[in-house]
Amino acid sequence: MIEIIIDGKKIEVAEGTTILDAARKNGIPIPTLCHRSTVEPYGACRLCIVDIREGNRTRLVTSCNYPVRKPVEVNTQSEKVRKTRKTLLEMMLSRWPNVNLIKQLAREYGVTSASYTHPLVDYSSNACILCGLCVNACSEIMWEDIIGFAGRGENRRVVMPFEKHYDACVGCSTCANICPTGAIQMTDDPNHPADDKRISRYGARVTDEVALYDIEQCRMREVGTAHLTEIMNDYDLLPTCNYKFGSHDEAGKLHSDVFKNKYLTQGVPDGCWLGCTMACAKVAEHFELKTGPYRGEKVLVDGPEYETVAGCGANMGIFDPEFVLETNFYCDTYGIDTISFGTTMAFVMECYEKGILNKERTGGLELRFGSAEAALEILHQMGTGQGFGVIVGQGIRRLKKIFAEKYNLSQQDIDFMQDIGMEAKGLEYSEYVTKESLAMQGGYGLALKGAQHDEAWLIFMDMVNNQIPTFQDKAEALHYFPMFRTWFGLVGLCKLPWNDVEPVDNAETDEPAKVPKHVEGYVNYFSGMTGREIDKKELILMSERVYNFQRVFNFRLGFGTREHDRIPYRSAGPVTDEEYESRAERYDKQLMEKWNYDITGKSTTEKREYLRKSREQDYQSLCDAVYRRRGWDENGVPTIEKMKQLKMDFPEVIAVLEKYYSSYTARSS
Amino acid sequence: MTRISLEDLQKIRERKEQEDKSYKAVLLVCSGTSCSTSGSGNLLTVLRKEISHRKLSQDYRVEPSACIGYCSRGPVMIVQPEGILYEKVKSADIPEIIDCLIAGIPLERLCHKDTTTDNRVPLLKDISFFNRQQFIVMHNKGSAVPAGIEDAIAGGAYQGLAKALMMDKNAVITEIIKSGLRGRGGGGFPTGLKWQSAARSAEEKKEPPYVICNASIIEAEPHLVIEGMAIGAYALGASEGIIYLRREAPQVSARYNKAIQQARESGLLGSNILNTSFSFDIHIRSSAGAFVSGESSALIASLSGLAGEPTAKYIHNSEAGYKGKPTVINNLETWANIPAILERGADWYSSTGKSRKSSPGTKVLTMTGDIVNPGIIEVPLGTTLREIIYDIGEGLADQGQLKAVQTGGPSGGFLPVELLDLPLDYESLSEAGSMIGSGNISVISHKTCIVDTVRYSVSYLKDESCGKCTPCREGLIALSGILNRITSGQGKEGDIELMARIAESMQLASLCALGQTAANPVLSTIRYFRSEYEQHIRDGKCSAGVCKALLYYLINDNCTGCTACARNCPVQAIAGEVKKKHVIDQDKCIKCGVCYEVCKLNAVTVQ
Repeated sequence: MIEIIIDGKKIEVAEGTTILDAARKNGIPIPTLCHRSTVEPYGACRLCIVDIREGNRTRLVTSCNYPVRKPVEVNTQSEKVRKTRKTLLEMMLSRWPNVNLIKQLAREYGVTSASYTHPLVDYSSNACILCGLCVNACSEIMWEDIIGFAGRGENRRVVMPFEKHYDACVGCSTCANICPTGAIQMTDDPNHPADDKRISRYGARVTDEVALYDIEQCRMREVGTAHLTEIMNDYDLLPTCNYKFGSHDEAGKLHSDVFKNKYLTQGVPDGCWLGCTMACAKVAEHFELKTGPYRGEKVLVDGPEYETVAGCGANMGIFDPEFVLETNFYCDTYGIDTISFGTTMAFVMECYEKGILNKERTGGLELRFGSAEAALEILHQMGTGQGFGVIVGQGIRRLKKIFAEKYNLSQQDIDFMQDIGMEAKGLEYSEYVTKESLAMQGGYGLALKGAQHDEAWLIFMDMVNNQIPTFQDKAEALHYFPMFRTWFGLVGLCKLPWNDVEPVDNAETDEPAKVPKHVEGYVNYFSGMTGREIDKKELILMSERVYNFQRVFNFRLGFGTREHDRIPYRSAGPVTDEEYESRAERYDKQLMEKWNYDITGKSTTEKREYLRKSREQDYQSLCDAVYRRRGWDENGVPTIEKMKQLKMDFPEVIAVLEKYYSSYTARSS
Repeated sequence: MTRISLEDLQKIRERKEQEDKSYKAVLLVCSGTSCSTSGSGNLLTVLRKEISHRKLSQDYRVEPSACIGYCSRGPVMIVQPEGILYEKVKSADIPEIIDCLIAGIPLERLCHKDTTTDNRVPLLKDISFFNRQQFIVMHNKGSAVPAGIEDAIAGGAYQGLAKALMMDKNAVITEIIKSGLRGRGGGGFPTGLKWQSAARSAEEKKEPPYVICNASIIEAEPHLVIEGMAIGAYALGASEGIIYLRREAPQVSARYNKAIQQARESGLLGSNILNTSFSFDIHIRSSAGAFVSGESSALIASLSGLAGEPTAKYIHNSEAGYKGKPTVINNLETWANIPAILERGADWYSSTGKSRKSSPGTKVLTMTGDIVNPGIIEVPLGTTLREIIYDIGEGLADQGQLKAVQTGGPSGGFLPVELLDLPLDYESLSEAGSMIGSGNISVISHKTCIVDTVRYSVSYLKDESCGKCTPCREGLIALSGILNRITSGQGKEGDIELMARIAESMQLASLCALGQTAANPVLSTIRYFRSEYEQHIRDGKCSAGVCKALLYYLINDNCTGCTACARNCPVQAIAGEVKKKHVIDQDKCIKCGVCYEVCKLNAVTVQ
């Protein structure tokens, strides 16, 4: 920390802080035109000049970009400063006499009219004042250079290349939103929103937040979602070796910095949605493939995202970034999902380790954890319809059946596969260890389309941020979040800007898990676009209708009751003694404190089995609570009252559900 | 080409010296731009033909020489080793020159004639234009343009580098600090300190630094610059250097490329220079040619592929410059000073220069304007403006009287006659409201209107301002507008104060040196020539008779009615009968001055 003096006030600042930031933080105003915290200081308007004394040297510097590196005495209002600012404003006012921002600042410095006739006088109140914010925002926030300056001196102007309309501009509106005079205006003819200003207002907030806080909160602009790898590993949530463990000594090899520094192209616009500030879709360029039909060729790999790093890396016990990229490329090329591939392979590998599979059964491949070459071979077989890959490609639910029948397995092995085959409703788990997060177990098990995190991604708020500690909190979360997330699908918006980068004061709000300020934004987008005023409750109601209808759809296909919401035990607790012992302290403590179970003299197996009983019971209780909260009966069937309340009690819908009411009632009686 | 080692340097020099001795004389024809335009190329051809025709090639060598700087006297020829200089040589003079050569006497009629004594002065070193100059950067003035690397070495190149490579890196930096050399690009920052700070940052950050030559200002012997940069690179631990040239000078680029190629082939650039462990290479990069790209942060931007626009920052290039790495950017002239400092020592260098201890060494200047000897000169810092203008420049051309001198290029200040005894050094000029800047000395006679000249300077700067920051862009637009108004007779009370206020804000608040110094012409002339502004504004008069809007032509009683003026007037503004006094219609008159020129009776007067 360095002690500086601004206008007589002693202030401690961190080295490198600009004088402007230090002054503003201490309530000392300094005028600016070309400065915004979301872009690098540009130093063009020169209004923020201050008088500084460093040792015996005094001079005027621009406070916006002057970094404090040693003690300095600053005078923000010296006569020289005021006089110079006044002349600058006099010149600006002569050129742009009707721009409010300039008029207002000029008035503060006693300038009310032009002091000479400017040859380029522009009477528009929306004149471009050449502050450069739009150009810098396009370049720095969007990583585009759609607009730039052309011409020197008096000819300087903001243009698109060759002063023609440039199709590469997708109309992200960042320039228009940052423009202080309204010289750049958005027109949205294709969508003709009811109130475009309202949408811009809230959209600009998100842009600013991402530009300012992503670097501290998520670093998605640098590494995409892969920043999660190290966080998950730190919190014991990164699936390793088929979800046995949540962290690994070698996980550092898959750290997002490895990808950033060695593979991922930096500073280019987003490949998922041009104009997105978060720009989390990353690519690795010029990556040389080592296997498969494109061996030796340099290709562009789209990704990897966190799920791919975890699934096609840690979960198979493989900690090699190049394996992740190679798998990522070939999965994309063959049209295979990296999550399903990763989780299925992890299951297959554990089966191999357990002896359920062997070389003979796999066509000669040794499919142990960590066998990168063999895993890639399976991927190529899967993609080309050959060998053991054809079997693996059918997914865990079928594999459990195929293995049992084909290899004539013992009941013990069949039960084991049931416990460790990480699928629900036939869909492979995505990449989070949920053993310690009951909420996330529910998130996976109760998701309508199977065990994926798209519907309720509660792991972060449950385990990292500890925002839903109680049982009721979790049940409420399992009502609210699936509904809220469904809404994104309804309106076609991305979920990431909702709760990845958050407002700095989010923790102080009444419901930080919901990110209230962003919810407010979404309500405003909807109303701004449609012209229909809604509130945040109605937003959830919209989803509830669709969500319940989806549940009904499941019933029509023969799924949807409580039994289909079951989860493999590995997602709730340790299946093996090895797993138990690896985290024995945690489990022992829980047995004693939470379940009042006396562990003295108990074997690992005894403790593990008690824990299992307790946790499975917990999961069922969670289901009860969630069903109640969602307005479903004990078998997970939406009640007639609920459907009426949602105005979804169409006769065809009720006809589907009625079968389930009766069968359940019959069975329970 | 074989690689040259440290030991070879001396051998090459000695061998070349022997070779030179085998000739009776070397005939040099100046190949500088000015002499070339007045026909020195042709002269060289004719001379070579004549020598060969007379079968004298064994005795006399004919070579082009580097620019002598004596531009008003071109084409210039020099006979070495005596150092005889012939002025304004024509092809027809050549047989006679050769006759005299054989006879061993100078051809008097082509020798310089001293204006005060009327005596012929045959030797270059005795001519007043030369004898007050001191050549460090242009030390090879009057010798042949080196054809190859060996000629360059014979001319003294790479001795300083050889010496530096035997020294410790830090000792080289200490030597430069001790020499007192200051940046010749205009800022005058101590070069050694700049190097030291870059060397420190490079060490702290463990990043290789860059050395860059900003070659936007003068041209010098390329090997001298290459040598200077190599010494700098050695001292700083840099392995890559860039020469940043203006694209408008393709012939300069070609010369430098050739020299770099020669140096590479001889092992003076590239890996293991002079067979030591030091490796360094130089690349040439061209600018788009904007005036502002000479500013260091604009130069870096330009090198990085961006528009040559200055960047607002308070982190020096020595800390984070090209590619964010510690970078030393020195002006070409600064680099060209380095070899001599190493070769002859810091003590020698710091003893050169004439006035203040803080300004040792020489400065290359271009002398332009209303002067007898316009040209390129190199003088010890501290030489007074009076010596430069009257001794070297031989006073004003066309019997003019000195009114002002603008130093430092378009953004330099205008100094009045009273300040003629001001020594040319960084502090003195800056205190007087001007600068050394680009090293231009523009001599302004009484026939020039100061206001109009300032208007011209400001208008040039207005076009060259990048327009990024408010004070420079808006200030120059405003000043230009006001000056246009004043010179067209529409000046207002308060204009001077308004200009002063604007110029001061430019000086204090502009982002880069262009804007900060662009205020000089206005501020210095308000300081020294305020009455001339007042005359324009209050009395509507331009005493130099330059501002057309402020003057009018009248016909007096000398008129005999010859009709010459009326016949020649392009706008038929003159009426009158034959043999009767004519009258000019002031509303129609466009002030072209034709009537004034055609009248043989002094009947047309300017008011």
